[in-house]
Amino acid sequence: MADLHENLQKLRNISHNPKKQLDTYLSDGKQVIGAFPYYTPEVMADAAGIIPMGMWGAQTEFSLAKKYLVPFACPIMQACMELGLQGKYAGVKAVMIPTMCDTLRDVTQDFKTGVKDISTIAYTLPQNRKLAAAKEYLIEELTYVKEQIEKIYGVTITEEAMQKSIAVYNKHNSVMREFAAIANDHLDIITPAVRHSVFKSAWFMSKSEHIAAVEEIINQLKALPVYNFTGHRLILTGITAEPCSLLNILSDNNFAVVGDDVAQEMRQYRTDIPEDTSSLASLAQQWLDRSDPMAHDDHIDRVNLLEKLYKENNADAILVCLMKFCDPEEYEFVAYNSALKEAGIKVLSIDIDQQPNNYDQARTRIETLAELL
Amino acid sequence: MLTLGIDIGSTTSKAAIIENGHKVVAKNIIPVGTGTRGPEEVFKSVLDQLHIKRNDINRIVATGYGRMKFEHADRELSEISCHGKGVRFLIPDVRTIIDIGGQDAKVLQLNDKGLLENFIMNDKCAAGTGRFLDVMASVLDIDINDMGPRSLQADAPVSISSTCTVFAESEVISRLSNGENINNIIAGIHRSVAKKVGGLAIRLGYTDHVAMSGGVARNIGIVKAMEEELKCPIAVHPDCQLAGAIGAALFAYDDLTKK
Repeated sequence: MADLHENLQKLRNISHNPKKQLDTYLSDGKQVIGAFPYYTPEVMADAAGIIPMGMWGAQTEFSLAKKYLVPFACPIMQACMELGLQGKYAGVKAVMIPTMCDTLRDVTQDFKTGVKDISTIAYTLPQNRKLAAAKEYLIEELTYVKEQIEKIYGVTITEEAMQKSIAVYNKHNSVMREFAAIANDHLDIITPAVRHSVFKSAWFMSKSEHIAAVEEIINQLKALPVYNFTGHRLILTGITAEPCSLLNILSDNNFAVVGDDVAQEMRQYRTDIPEDTSSLASLAQQWLDRSDPMAHDDHIDRVNLLEKLYKENNADAILVCLMKFCDPEEYEFVAYNSALKEAGIKVLSIDIDQQPNNYDQARTRIETLAELL
Repeated sequence: MLTLGIDIGSTTSKAAIIENGHKVVAKNIIPVGTGTRGPEEVFKSVLDQLHIKRNDINRIVATGYGRMKFEHADRELSEISCHGKGVRFLIPDVRTIIDIGGQDAKVLQLNDKGLLENFIMNDKCAAGTGRFLDVMASVLDIDINDMGPRSLQADAPVSISSTCTVFAESEVISRLSNGENINNIIAGIHRSVAKKVGGLAIRLGYTDHVAMSGGVARNIGIVKAMEEELKCPIAVHPDCQLAGAIGAALFAYDDLTKK
């Protein structure tokens, strides 16, 4: 059995090099489907024995993508287009793209046009979720996604297999919630970059494999004495909080991450897939149950959620990882930033980009926050 | 007790030596910054002013973008904290500080005890920074030090609408080819900077006691435009450019004397 550090390193390697993981799956004869940010019905692919892999771009220069996207478009989408056009996703037969924002909507057509050897399955998550028709509409959308997966991959997705996969995904949610909680007792080991790697690796592994890996890590952490962390405790929010070179600046300044509302991380795991009349109805209901700032009618609202995370985790500040050129995030920021400050919470924002960056300005901001605290 | 602060910026290197935490006894500015001869030269020059060696200094704190690479420092601190402390030393009643440096602009809020309470920085963009003014001086073919006095002679400042340095440059060229008076263009450029950086102050919130620091504060035209933008007087100390280095030296003193 590998020790704790070896297990963490394994997940770190996978999160740093998803291409290697993709090639491993392909050479093992597995089929792979791409999952664009940030809610896709991965359960369907899992039920068909297909590995869903997250499409989160990479730290890369944008060149070919400029044919399709303006320089001030979402960096994740620019990076995904760039990697797709460079052929880095070779072997992936199809991608699922939810039209959660205007840029994703554009990319459904850009990817379809530019990356011809990968099929695009685009679908919409309804925004007015209080309407009764929302669920009915989403079930139809999910039925379309299921039919497309069956057609492209030549598989049949049965209701029984779907129910089994739903159980796996709910188990994964529970394991990730447990990891997030126990990580706070071991902030000497679970640094911001390590924590991020555990979450990000989930996007590039079958959920059964990831559950096994994280459960082992949890058990190994439980066997250790609780670490008395005396540094600064941070809550993160945003779409992504990466790369590790940026997160290492947090460690350099004695910060630990004790909770997050990051779309790539804990936001995925807060809401289970409920029981319903069918597996598709369950998946639809999960979207209706989610509290998410991208939804028109967010249930909890971000201010309450962030305040709750801040208090429950005894945090010192909230770090907003503002995805560069992300309209929905910038729109939200104004309101929750002032509300949190009124509540007496220190809030710092930094830009997140996917182009190689020296992060000097972010370092100055983070250092100053540490000095302020 | 002697403490030294060095502020290694993107375009200039500044150093100050403070005696017993209250008197500036040596200071200098070298007009080249991080990655150049500037840091070593300014360091040596302030030691030479007092005819002393490194070992005669009790503690050194480095700040500014080049702070991590200065080998003589005992500690590094962000330039935001150092500017806050330095300006407070120079102008004791200050509560809001607008610091415009070579490549960024910051607004700092101090509480009634003079401690840094909040801050805001510009986005990664040259607009509203010293670099923006360098580019404009080059387009106008004038010495950057003449921009302030010349802008005061403007009778009808033009509008430079763009907040992007590249687009503003072509806007200025277009104004020049239309035969606009250069002094009016310079005043328009200063207003453009004031609007950009003043926007940060408005976002953060500011009080009556506003001061400017950093090299750009030496430009009287910018200060005037900022006063108009924020509708309040702005204090500028003659050593405004040294505020970061002075703050660093004061932190070095605190390190040695506060338990």
